[in-house]
Amino acid sequence: MTNQELTYWVTLALMPKIWTRRKNEIYVKCFEHNPQISVIDLFEDRSCWDELLLTDEEKELFSAAYEQLPNNSFMVEDMLSQGYEILPIHCDEYPKILKKNLGKAAPTVIFTKGNKELLNQSSIAIVGSRNADKISLQFTDNVAKRISASNGVVVSGFAKGVDRQALDSALEAGGKSIIVLPQGIMTFASGFKQYYKHIIQGHVLVMSSFAPKAPWSKEFAMARNPIIYGMASHIYVAQSDDKGGTWSGVLDGLRKNRAIYVRWPETGEKNANVQLIQKGAMAVDINGNTIKPDAEDLKTEEQKETEILNDKIVKILSSVDSCSSKDILIRLNIDWSDAKMKKFLETMSQVEKNKIKNRVYYSLKNSQSKNLALDFE
Amino acid sequence: MEAMTRVEAEERLKTVFGIEHFYGEQWKAIDRILRGERILMIERTGFGKSLCYQFPATQFPGITVIFSPLIALMRDQVRSLNKKGISAAYINSEQSQEDNTLVIEKALKGEIKILYIAPERQENQEWIEATRNMNLSMVVIDEAHTISTWGHDFRPAFRRIINLVQLLPKNLPVLATTATATKRVQRDIEEQIGGRLTTIRGNLSRENLYLQVIRVNSEDEKMIWLASNLVNLDGTGLIYTGTRVDTEIYAHWLQYCGIDAIDYNAGYDADTRKEVEKGLMENRWKCIVSTNALGMGIDKPDIRFIIHTQIPASPIHYYQEIGRAGRDGLPTRIILFFNENKGKEDGVPADYSLPYSFIEGSRPGIKKYERVIDLLKQEPLSEREIMKRANLKQNQIRVIKADLIDQGIIKEAQYGTKQKKYEYQYKANELDVSKFEELRKAKIKDLDSMVNYVYTDMPRMEYLCKFLDSDENSVYTNCDNTNLKKLEVEYDEEISAKLEDFRDSYFPKLELAAHTLKSGTGLKIRMPYPNVVEVLRNNEVVGTYINKINYSEFGEEEACVLRDLSDRHQHNASRLTDGYAASYYGVSNIGAALHRSKYEGGGDFPDFLLKKTLSVFGKKYREIKFDLVLYVPPTHSGDLVKNFAIKFANTIKVPISHSLIKTRETEEQKIFQNSYSKQDNVKDAFTIESELVRGKTILLIDDIYDSGATLKEIGKTLTERGTKWIVPIVIAKTVGGTL
Repeated sequence: MTNQELTYWVTLALMPKIWTRRKNEIYVKCFEHNPQISVIDLFEDRSCWDELLLTDEEKELFSAAYEQLPNNSFMVEDMLSQGYEILPIHCDEYPKILKKNLGKAAPTVIFTKGNKELLNQSSIAIVGSRNADKISLQFTDNVAKRISASNGVVVSGFAKGVDRQALDSALEAGGKSIIVLPQGIMTFASGFKQYYKHIIQGHVLVMSSFAPKAPWSKEFAMARNPIIYGMASHIYVAQSDDKGGTWSGVLDGLRKNRAIYVRWPETGEKNANVQLIQKGAMAVDINGNTIKPDAEDLKTEEQKETEILNDKIVKILSSVDSCSSKDILIRLNIDWSDAKMKKFLETMSQVEKNKIKNRVYYSLKNSQSKNLALDFE
Repeated sequence: MEAMTRVEAEERLKTVFGIEHFYGEQWKAIDRILRGERILMIERTGFGKSLCYQFPATQFPGITVIFSPLIALMRDQVRSLNKKGISAAYINSEQSQEDNTLVIEKALKGEIKILYIAPERQENQEWIEATRNMNLSMVVIDEAHTISTWGHDFRPAFRRIINLVQLLPKNLPVLATTATATKRVQRDIEEQIGGRLTTIRGNLSRENLYLQVIRVNSEDEKMIWLASNLVNLDGTGLIYTGTRVDTEIYAHWLQYCGIDAIDYNAGYDADTRKEVEKGLMENRWKCIVSTNALGMGIDKPDIRFIIHTQIPASPIHYYQEIGRAGRDGLPTRIILFFNENKGKEDGVPADYSLPYSFIEGSRPGIKKYERVIDLLKQEPLSEREIMKRANLKQNQIRVIKADLIDQGIIKEAQYGTKQKKYEYQYKANELDVSKFEELRKAKIKDLDSMVNYVYTDMPRMEYLCKFLDSDENSVYTNCDNTNLKKLEVEYDEEISAKLEDFRDSYFPKLELAAHTLKSGTGLKIRMPYPNVVEVLRNNEVVGTYINKINYSEFGEEEACVLRDLSDRHQHNASRLTDGYAASYYGVSNIGAALHRSKYEGGGDFPDFLLKKTLSVFGKKYREIKFDLVLYVPPTHSGDLVKNFAIKFANTIKVPISHSLIKTRETEEQKIFQNSYSKQDNVKDAFTIESELVRGKTILLIDDIYDSGATLKEIGKTLTERGTKWIVPIVIAKTVGGTL
């Protein structure tokens, strides 16, 4: 690949209003075309656009991007002279694992600084909340050191909390780490200064898939998560809330059948680790060893409470034919609104709903029990 | 854009430039450029290379950017383009920050067609930022031989331009031009620019240049010849010397002989340089004595003579430098001096030694490279930080830096918007010194070829064209190997005596009052007291405060702030004035005598040094009434300066004080290689009681003047204690690190 191609690749990668997936599709078509169409021809030779089945809108976008080529050559020159590297999706140094995990959604170009060899070594991601508890940080430390000891690369996102811990612990253990930035790579001067020695010794690689000068943004932070997951063969989760980046990242990973390990929390921890395990993630102990929690352990406090309540209601309903939610509330003697109880009853698989003259009564399914409603009237 | 026919193009040429036709080779280039191709043009000076990009530039929709190392050329061409109604501008270090920013803004708005820019700008973030939104139509590399390490004037800043050109889109036209490229340099440029590149090479012979060589046996003979013959040459011209010091000495000598001469070198500030360049265009002087920095790229048709007092580094340099003369095609005198007097120790001709030592000294020792690499393995550092920590001179660090970048061992990274730091690269190669050696050998070979020019019996223009690998069919004539007479120096008793007088009365100046202060607004405010004699003649400041601020250009509030700044500056400004040295160190026996006393235990400075220094005093300071003599307290060399100052004070009958003392140990200044470290070494190191100096005019004596950092520091200390004036005098001034 000549350096000149980089200008075209960067232009393709930074083109607005076309999804990454579509850009990659177009390039694959070029690649499979006979004779092959280079990324330079893709921009320079408009006669190939029809063959590639570009829409009229896309043709316009490519024409507009063509005008940007000289400007992007200046930017690429600036980047190369500052020691940044530009890796298009088709080059050998581009991380294979990212292509395998993300398929056509893999970034068209990634920007890096540091030891590129780390990109194609076996790597493990450690993720977790920015406001992680002490125990989660301890877990992160344990796992990072363990991975380092077995010569693995720790991938993390350079956020506060678990991310930084993962990086620092790996380096402390003499290991290697990949930082996946939530910002353009040219806006990371302070980080490069801080990790300078590790970078020049080949222990750290910094990568970003965003416009090189784009500052940090929440959107980038979210968009960066799939790349962290994509860069790893295994993912360790130290701590997750029931919403936010880690949560949605793990769910997404589970949908894609990724190997995800979640720390088994201690009693009383307020996080959503157990839910993730229930949803299919594997449980690990504080040292990262896989454990098999028994069915009872898998229940959260909340779930346990729900089960008790469930039992009580079944008991009540089994003693009557049917009963209004108000009656149930009185018998249970709890401080719930009628609406809340009604909602809860809806979730119970054993309970069915009957309407008698505008009033709603509940009973056990296939119940033979008597109607006690009259007792109250 | 659509290509056009020659007829169409020439119609437009007439409307825009008022020129009827292109030359064949011009059209060949322009036709291809209009089709988005890459061209390398090797054509002699005066051929009309610039039209080959200026015309297409006026036809393209966007902006044409010309990377040029020549500030004078930028100024010239922009002026003449603007006159034709073509919007052109330049960005360079000579222009103020604000003006550069203004140009960038206009370029972004598409209001500029042709933009000249110094290659160093590619390292400037403001420029890089602007290029993101500029509508670029063409890139030009002027003086393209400077992109080749084999070229005669390699500029590291061009490395980034080459990288840029390699990244430019395939169909963006690129033109590289030069008047001086051997086949080797040509191949190098072709490889570096890459892509579909067509090379156009024209004839290089310049028959209107009348080439002569004068072999002499001493510096004096050169000066004598010039004094007797310069006035007989037609028109005005240039004298090129080998060093900055020589520009000063030769210019003063010619003035001493009543010839209208002035000196110019790169050490002068931009305003002075501009003024001299303007004077050159207006034929204000018979000749300008200059280093080869002057005249490059200047579009003056009638430089009637160029005389070299020293051989340049190669025949290419020589061809390039003399090429600036006689662009109008009229007869032009080109004279080269060569002092073939062989040194007693080395048996090498005197005029071979200087360029030879430039080659030998052009690269710092390997240890220094390693020192820089080791530092950068620890943390990223700026140029200044490296200079301080590695104790290197600025020019050394620049060479080292460029070489290390070239070999991919370090890179220059941006830290924040303003700062640049150098970073060691993971898996960097070991430093490859074989490349340096290869280059050194090539340079020495070139220098030898330059000496051969002196002795060749070939027509001299043929010799030069052959060296440039120009395979043209020209008839070579007009030199002292063909139809012109051989020149010799005739002994002239009167002028010899005059020269002796000159040597006795010529004293190097110490420019101490000339430092400028940059205010927060980016404006330069010149030191208020520029000239010792003028200032002190009447013991008064005689309107010498140079204030370049034109207050009417500013808003009321801004002007107020500026006035305040300027007042404060004047009030706080050091009362140290310019001074004189009795001699240059390293010239004649003075340096040797100083060295013996200082470093070889040779006892007090010999009396002839006192006599020589008293003679400066008599000639320059006679009218000044001094109240007190002070001397710079010693570091290691004992009481040499003290004893010298006592004798001096006795002779001039001014009281001496020994109370200027050091508050702490300092190191000898000569071990520090750069001015930052020298300043640090002496900062706040001196003290004296205020009562001794308040309101007084003081003569300050030292032995050797190098960076001036010590004198400036003492000047500051004395100013703070209410001294009226501090007038320095020293025995010798060094010439670019002779210590």
